Amino acid sequence: MEGVSYQRFPKIKIREVKDDYMKFELRETDASIANALRRVMISEVPTIAIDLVEIEVNSSVLNDEFIAHRLGLVPLISERAMAMRFSRDCDACDGDGQCEYCSVEFHLRAKCINDTTLDVTSKDLYSSDHTVVPVDFSDASSTIDNTESRGIIIVKLRRGQELILRAIARKGIGKDHAKWSPAATVTFMYEPEIYINEELMETLTMEEKQEFVDSSPTKVFDINPRNGQVYVHNAENYAYDDEVLKKAEAMGKPGLVEIHAKEDSFIFTVETTGGIKASQLLINAIEILKQKLDAVRLSADTVEADEQFGELGAHMRGG
Amino acid sequence: MDTSTGDKEEEKVGKAAGRPHLAEEKDYEALREIFRHHIDSFDHMIEHGLEAMMQNVKPVEVFDPATKLKLRIWLSNPEVYEPQKERFSRTMTDPLYPFECRQAKLSYSGAFMVDLNFQYGDGGVIRDKISLGQFPIMLKSKTCHLRAANTPKKLVLLKEEPSEMGGYFILNGLERVIRLLILPKRNYPTSMVRNSFRERREGYTDKAVVIRCVREDQSAVSVKLYYLNSGSARLGFWIQGREYLLPVGIILKALTETTDHEIYLSLTCCYNDKYDRGKGSVGTQLIGERAKIILDELQHFSLYTRTQCLQHIGEHFQAVMVGLEKQSYSDVADAVLRDYIFVHLDDNIDKFNLLILMLQKLFSLVDQTSVTDNPDSLQHHEVLLPGHLITIYLKEKLQDWLLRAKRLLQDEVDKDNKKFELSSVTDTRKIIDKTFPKQIGAAIENLLKTGRLNTQSGLDLQQRAGMTVMAERLNYLRFISHFRAIHRGASFAGLRTTSVRKLLPESWGFMCPVHTPDGEPCGLLNHMTSSCRLTSYYDSEGKVKDFLEIRKSISKVLVSIGMTPALPKLLLAGPPEVLPVLLDGRVVGSIASNIIEKAVCHMRRLKVSEASVIPEDLEVGYVPLSMGGAYPGLYLFTSASRFVRPVRNLQIPSEESKNIELIGPFEQVYMEISCPDGGNGGRKDVFPASHAEIHPTGILSVVGNLTPWSDHNQSPRNMYQCQMAKQTMGFSCQSLNARADQKLYHLQTPQTPIVRTQTYEKYNIDDCPLGTNAIVAVLAYSGYDMEDAMVLNKSSVDRGMFRGYIYQTETVDLAEDKFRADRSQRSFGRSNVDKSSHQFIDSDGLPFVGQSIGPGDPYCGIYNEITSSVSANKLKGSDHAYVDYVAVDTKNKKHLQKANIRFRHPRNPVIGDKFSSRHGQKGVCSQLWQDTDMPFSGVTGMRPDLIINPHAFPSRMTIAMLLESIAAKGGSLHGNFVDATPFSSSMKRSEGSESDSSLIDELGSQLVKRGFNHHGLEVLYSGVYGTELTCEIFIGPVYYQRLRHMVSDKFQVRSTGTIDQVTRQPIKGRKRGGGVRFGEMERDSLLAHGAAYLLHDRLHKSSDYHIADVCSLCGSILTTSVIQSHKKKVREMIGMRLPSKAPKKVTCVSCKTGKGMETVAMPYVFRYLAAELAGMNIKMTLELSN
Repeated sequence: MEGVSYQRFPKIKIREVKDDYMKFELRETDASIANALRRVMISEVPTIAIDLVEIEVNSSVLNDEFIAHRLGLVPLISERAMAMRFSRDCDACDGDGQCEYCSVEFHLRAKCINDTTLDVTSKDLYSSDHTVVPVDFSDASSTIDNTESRGIIIVKLRRGQELILRAIARKGIGKDHAKWSPAATVTFMYEPEIYINEELMETLTMEEKQEFVDSSPTKVFDINPRNGQVYVHNAENYAYDDEVLKKAEAMGKPGLVEIHAKEDSFIFTVETTGGIKASQLLINAIEILKQKLDAVRLSADTVEADEQFGELGAHMRGG
Repeated sequence: MDTSTGDKEEEKVGKAAGRPHLAEEKDYEALREIFRHHIDSFDHMIEHGLEAMMQNVKPVEVFDPATKLKLRIWLSNPEVYEPQKERFSRTMTDPLYPFECRQAKLSYSGAFMVDLNFQYGDGGVIRDKISLGQFPIMLKSKTCHLRAANTPKKLVLLKEEPSEMGGYFILNGLERVIRLLILPKRNYPTSMVRNSFRERREGYTDKAVVIRCVREDQSAVSVKLYYLNSGSARLGFWIQGREYLLPVGIILKALTETTDHEIYLSLTCCYNDKYDRGKGSVGTQLIGERAKIILDELQHFSLYTRTQCLQHIGEHFQAVMVGLEKQSYSDVADAVLRDYIFVHLDDNIDKFNLLILMLQKLFSLVDQTSVTDNPDSLQHHEVLLPGHLITIYLKEKLQDWLLRAKRLLQDEVDKDNKKFELSSVTDTRKIIDKTFPKQIGAAIENLLKTGRLNTQSGLDLQQRAGMTVMAERLNYLRFISHFRAIHRGASFAGLRTTSVRKLLPESWGFMCPVHTPDGEPCGLLNHMTSSCRLTSYYDSEGKVKDFLEIRKSISKVLVSIGMTPALPKLLLAGPPEVLPVLLDGRVVGSIASNIIEKAVCHMRRLKVSEASVIPEDLEVGYVPLSMGGAYPGLYLFTSASRFVRPVRNLQIPSEESKNIELIGPFEQVYMEISCPDGGNGGRKDVFPASHAEIHPTGILSVVGNLTPWSDHNQSPRNMYQCQMAKQTMGFSCQSLNARADQKLYHLQTPQTPIVRTQTYEKYNIDDCPLGTNAIVAVLAYSGYDMEDAMVLNKSSVDRGMFRGYIYQTETVDLAEDKFRADRSQRSFGRSNVDKSSHQFIDSDGLPFVGQSIGPGDPYCGIYNEITSSVSANKLKGSDHAYVDYVAVDTKNKKHLQKANIRFRHPRNPVIGDKFSSRHGQKGVCSQLWQDTDMPFSGVTGMRPDLIINPHAFPSRMTIAMLLESIAAKGGSLHGNFVDATPFSSSMKRSEGSESDSSLIDELGSQLVKRGFNHHGLEVLYSGVYGTELTCEIFIGPVYYQRLRHMVSDKFQVRSTGTIDQVTRQPIKGRKRGGGVRFGEMERDSLLAHGAAYLLHDRLHKSSDYHIADVCSLCGSILTTSVIQSHKKKVREMIGMRLPSKAPKKVTCVSCKTGKGMETVAMPYVFRYLAAELAGMNIKMTLELSN
């Protein structure tokens, strides 16, 4: 087997990109790569999140840990995250985790002085770094008035209640805590290939065709209103739920349609928390994946491999 | 643009309607109904019950030998005041609020004042107010400050829950409820067969008719009418712990001026040869014989007239009747008849009639023309209400106190003290004040604190302990359940028979068949259904019922519909011709059997109609004629503390607005009530339904009602859920900041369930939610979900799912007794020398709020002013905590003496914590799995929060959990709640809307609309490999509860540690760092495995390993002794070098030589055993080989 190369050249075709949403195709590779990409995007791409909270005054109804937890979950703009250092690796501050290379400081100071309830939101967090700020979800294009979407509510204060705190945000990855996960959802599906057996299809009456089309909970097939032919409306709507196949079976027409999953092409959907752009998330993920593979490759034939991977080193060298 | 905003507004309205938990004004009326019986009974006690009771407390008389006049003392005009703070200035009073009591560990009680009336001779009555101490006040009763706070807002201002319903007491800061107990139904003669009756005396049979008679002041006296082998009967009643048995003839004659002939006629009236052995005939010709025997007995005693009988009774009872020692015999006899026989009746003729009826019932039981009444059936039960318990207890306490006062006064008078004047009120008051009148209030408080009745007579109750329970606020459902729980009685708990625990059909609609714990109290501790109520002294408009008036009008109505009144003539006919009519245990007349059905129907109509004076909760217990069934008659009950529940009366056309009738368990048995579920219930056409259930869920308790689609579950699962709901960590209360409970569980981020029953909104459970909608996937994944274990998604937990806290309050009271022992003055403070505690304790000796404290860290410092030393209280337990709140009692003195320190223990889900769905599916978290490793949906990217194993379903058959998952999925996709009220399909069917679609189709179609699989299945991909899982996975949101059982409170670890002083073995107990016992069975197991080394390790090496010196000559291990070598010093002196380790010199004291010494390894307890045996003069010798 020595010398045989399984090298392939995966291709990515981006279908749709928004700030926090992306849909792309990944072709000519297999599930392991696709899944690795997904896993890295969810839990290995670093972001910045509040990790340490020093509470000075808290007379709100929520207790200190609760507020600290809520602060931690506020997504921060993390474009800088890749360039930042992990606090534990930072030599500028001896692991103190409070220097400019590995942390961002936030201040929050709120007091309710009148009878209306005061909403303390992520907008009240003042950052020491203008590039690392809470994500702004207010959409200028939307018609809903922006006063309502003032940010993520942290706590509500009544008259006389006060909240003063200092928070340190640090770089981290989703594996350690979900607050550092940049992805709301990353998912992929195999691209389906659908063949309609036209001959068999023509044996169906119009009602039966309609029944067949309706049997799929998602709109996969449709009927051409002109010639009454069933055609594949959108193959990607197919959720591999086998509903149509079961229907065909029930109608006594097995083989009416044939559906295969393409083994080597995947359709990814990525949604981010807003901390980093979806496109950036993909790039970062590939970068991290490469780094991780490098770590394996570089150490494959060195002594370090034994140190780094222990018994696994032998496996990695192909033993 | 315009249209879009219009749509938005419409949407908003729709949203508000779909989100009842966000409603501005909440309706707590239904919730109030749940607690009503507690408060009503207490209110009545305060307003009228005490007054009525005091009239029944017998006055005492002190005889003044000087003037030959009597001083009469009696009580009247009880007054209970609202709780006030103790103040030094008498003029200013501050109200004492419940929250203050909880925090300061005080009792919520008000002053209890009574008028003492003195009458010297025939002189004028002098009234004098006397304080009887503090009377515990039930929350939300009329004497409670919270009563005025009628809106949630006002309650919140008083630091209470917005939904505070009261019904409990606060004693030393703890909330306690009076337990509802089952009692035999009052004023109804029950026939019974019990073997214990035979043992009463020679000649007794096992048959008797028993009646529990209750006076207007709730005190009760039970009377038993035994049947004798001779054919006669004896009337038994208890006086001062002894049962007295009287021939029934004497009582009959003593009660009224009558003749033998009259008695004979009255007794035999229930027999007529015409109907012999026919339907409904209860008498046989034997009854005449028995009447003769009863009368012959009187001849035997040579008692012929009423006066003779009274003389006879008086003669025998004078010794036992307190305070009547000097009265005439006939007065004593009158007192006996008044105080012990049929005390619910005042008139002797009524008593006579009732006794005749009981005799007839007894004879019919003997002749097997009627069956026994089942004493375990709810039909013959009522409830002991809080107000009634306190009233009867107080009555006895007051009577005892008066008698004590009398004795003291009499002693004082007899002493011939010149200074003492009996006629002077001030003098007598002085003596009376010596009798500790304030103890009366303390006695009630003690009853509530301990639940123990401290009484001589027993108050005609079956048990003396366990009358109150703590109202735990573990969560809201548990709290509610305390007020709905009904206990059968502690005496039944020890019984080996299971018959009392059985679920009988009689309790249909009154007791929840689902909501009873399993295990020890199963079937004994029941819960009332949500629709069940208890009758009280208040009518529906809150006015006090006038029972005299009510009974009068009922009698009037009865006569108008054809009843022959019993008075003035005794009735002279019996079943089947006519049926006796009893109203609250009084024979009011008889009614012909051919018109009775119509009469009953008429009564029911009057019950419902608003205009009539007939109370709506009147129980029309019509026992029809039968072949050897229950003894027939028309039994009417108006009394309080009966069970009632609403049903629809079908005989009243529904156009008339009111056709909801309240029925009781006694009448229910003989009624035809149709239920929308279960067809006709086997009913034949001959018996058409006269009533109908309002909704089938009426048979379930509040907690039982909260299980969604419980009709689709296997019934034991619903039982488990009822238990688990009560041990769920939830939002225990909203007024957390104003509370100082020992332990409170709190869920950080609870949610309202998507799938819920109508009950959920009815009782505003959203105020205190107790769970989270978790996305549950049912699959075998990773193997960590075997055997009811479940895998949680770590990321979900990171984001706050199932996070919780335990709030724990430590009260530090420096004035407490244990500190006072050395009489030293103490205050809070910290040491200025030792600065190690400064991190935790502030200069005032109390911790910083918000400070994190580890186990063993100090949290408060106590400065002893005499020794000027500082000691610290340290945090117990094994997990760290935060200081949540520090409350100090600033009221007393200059120095702080009392502080409440509340800790907050964060409890994030960890492996080993227990969770459960609402369908009795509990499980333990076995792994917190990374988000990326969880299976995910290709379409939506959804990862489950929680994975359970499919094996949880087939054997348990909790179909409703599957339905819930599908419904919640549909509901969340469409953005609405789903109604999961059980039996709603059968309700729909009965309403005529014939929908052929099953529930699952309805729910499934919701899913299909949004492009999901009809059955809730989804294609999932392995999170680890990215490949499609081989089958489709059932996934959807299910409401999960976090149970309070958490590993952090339970884990036990020990390597080395403290050992027992005597045995040198490791100690037990988690708290003290002890180990888990390696017991006999474990030993057997290792023996069977042949694991000898392991056994040796466990039982010896790791336990009490000991090397003992044994003298092989005498074989004793106790006589050895280590000899300090005397020569040591000498050797040192001559400068001899010591060997590096001098050999230990051991000798046997008894052999006086060290020659035979050997060392043997043995468990230390063995040595202890030898010592113990030696203590008993037994010598143990060891024989050592090689």
